[in-house]
Amino acid sequence: MSGSAFREGHVEADGFRIRYLEAGEGPPLVHLHGAGGPRPNPAHALLSRRFRTILFEMPGFGQSPENTRTETMPELASTMAQATAKLGLATFNLMGTSFGGKTALWLALQAPERVLALVLEAPAAIRQEGAQSPSGSPEEMARRLYAHPERLGAMPPVDPAVRAKQAALVQRLRGPDRDRDLEDRLEELATPTLVVFGTADAVIAPAMGRVYKQLMPNCHLVFVYDSGHGIGTDRPEAFVEVVGDFLDRHEAFVISQTPTVIHP
Amino acid sequence: MKVSFFETARYRPARALPPEWPVPSEAYDREAGAEAYRRMIERLQYVEELGFDWVSVSEHHYSPRILTPAPIVTAAYIAARLKKIKIALLGPIVPQSNPVRLAEELAMLDTLAEGRLVVGLLRGTTNEYLTYDLNPAEARARTDEGIELILKAWTEPQPFGWQGRHFRYRTISIWPRPLQQPHPPTYALGVSRESCELAARNHVGCGVSYAPFEAVGKATRYYREQCERHGWRPEPEQIVYRANMALGETDADAHALLERQPNRAPFSMRQGVSDAFMRLDARNIAGEARAPIRAGALPTTFIGGPDTIVEQVRRCREEVGAGVLDLSLIPPGWGDPDLLMRSLELFGTKVLPRIREI
Repeated sequence: MSGSAFREGHVEADGFRIRYLEAGEGPPLVHLHGAGGPRPNPAHALLSRRFRTILFEMPGFGQSPENTRTETMPELASTMAQATAKLGLATFNLMGTSFGGKTALWLALQAPERVLALVLEAPAAIRQEGAQSPSGSPEEMARRLYAHPERLGAMPPVDPAVRAKQAALVQRLRGPDRDRDLEDRLEELATPTLVVFGTADAVIAPAMGRVYKQLMPNCHLVFVYDSGHGIGTDRPEAFVEVVGDFLDRHEAFVISQTPTVIHP
Repeated sequence: MKVSFFETARYRPARALPPEWPVPSEAYDREAGAEAYRRMIERLQYVEELGFDWVSVSEHHYSPRILTPAPIVTAAYIAARLKKIKIALLGPIVPQSNPVRLAEELAMLDTLAEGRLVVGLLRGTTNEYLTYDLNPAEARARTDEGIELILKAWTEPQPFGWQGRHFRYRTISIWPRPLQQPHPPTYALGVSRESCELAARNHVGCGVSYAPFEAVGKATRYYREQCERHGWRPEPEQIVYRANMALGETDADAHALLERQPNRAPFSMRQGVSDAFMRLDARNIAGEARAPIRAGALPTTFIGGPDTIVEQVRRCREEVGAGVLDLSLIPPGWGDPDLLMRSLELFGTKVLPRIREI
């Protein structure tokens, strides 16, 4: 992660050795990554200026060994809740990206008293029928994930072994496009929740955002203009501004505090 | 006394609506919306026939309670359909508008309406800050600057630039100019010290609303004092009072009508948002602090049968000094339109002729 001071650490939780990156001070913000594994992006660096930002690598993703043990998303959520406890986080803000958005929702359902606020970045917990994870060459992946891949450097090639290991796990845990077990419980989740979708998301239909609004009692929906699925990469400043504001003020984030004075 | 009818485009939902502001737009019923606007024109034809001097419209967003988010559109439509009555735009929310655009639209409207336009300019209710992302800490300053800019755009004959605090334009020269010269009758709407002072300083009228006579009387007294300080005296017609009226055949009928009305805050927001506004917004009546958000329904300050109402109007004239009453006979967002038509008839036949001379 360029230009930021993320330190690597490990925590033993639920029988897994879990790697994480951490930077910044302030209220804790725990991040759960998408199906492609941990992909630190400029938004994480910006968030670390205001929050103690902890980017977990969930068991079976990235550098971690293959995870053949976790059978369901609620199990993965429980593992990650234990990891946060092992880090000494009694309460924390929780952000889940895409696949990790579903993990985050389950975690919040399991331990609502520990989650101060929830940010779901292009969450994949509720999907349009037949939604497919991005796949193919790095270039094809970039075209699915980002509205402006041309602005990014060349995508690093992904180790085929890592990809295969992750794909099997994701396939096992992602659940149906419309997961009744989860959706039936969302009405009980009063955690302040911000759902963010890019207007040009080519992986999860941004129209899914309204379903969270309809199901959750304290949910707010924001579209980030001209962003694809990877909002923190496509529009990091825009994304971080609204996320930071929401984590600070929860539902009162709808009240603008932006000055418009041109000259005093 | 002149009388204005506050038109809110009565939207009658087929089913109960979510109570919270903003109201999700998925609850909107297109048929009910079309019907509301159709009946609005029928009702206003009757209002004109009864001899009301003005019909007023307002700007409120994201809710069916008052279905006129674009008051200029509403006013233009009414102006085209009715030929005599004055159209009072009370008013566009200035701090979240482009003041030059407002000056242009209002000038055009005055011309289209053949000089029947009355303009009220205001900061807007607290919830409306959310509509177009207005910072509450700046709302007052943007209102004051915006109003002065509108007046300047109407009256300055040469292209000019505006180097403001919140607005900046390098050249302004509006066409058309208002038909009424130097500009349409204009009111600064609000009971705050700042609003009264702005009105006095700019030689425009003052509009107050809803609070009991004693409270709004404080504001109008302060306004008149400030006018004095600026070397002029407003006409009675330069003070307008928007109020709720519960009128019945008898006093008992009127009280029964009032009791049926819900004691609901007009635009109730989520608790966390309301709480934040209580800290971030500041409101006052002639300098005396008041809460930015009301807990219950807006007060009804005229209650009774015709005789009682006439007496109350007389008292209002004395205590508030208002020369124009802008009335809701049935509160917006409640009651069926037929009930409103019956109240209008009662008012038009039993009250209106008797308060002309007050």
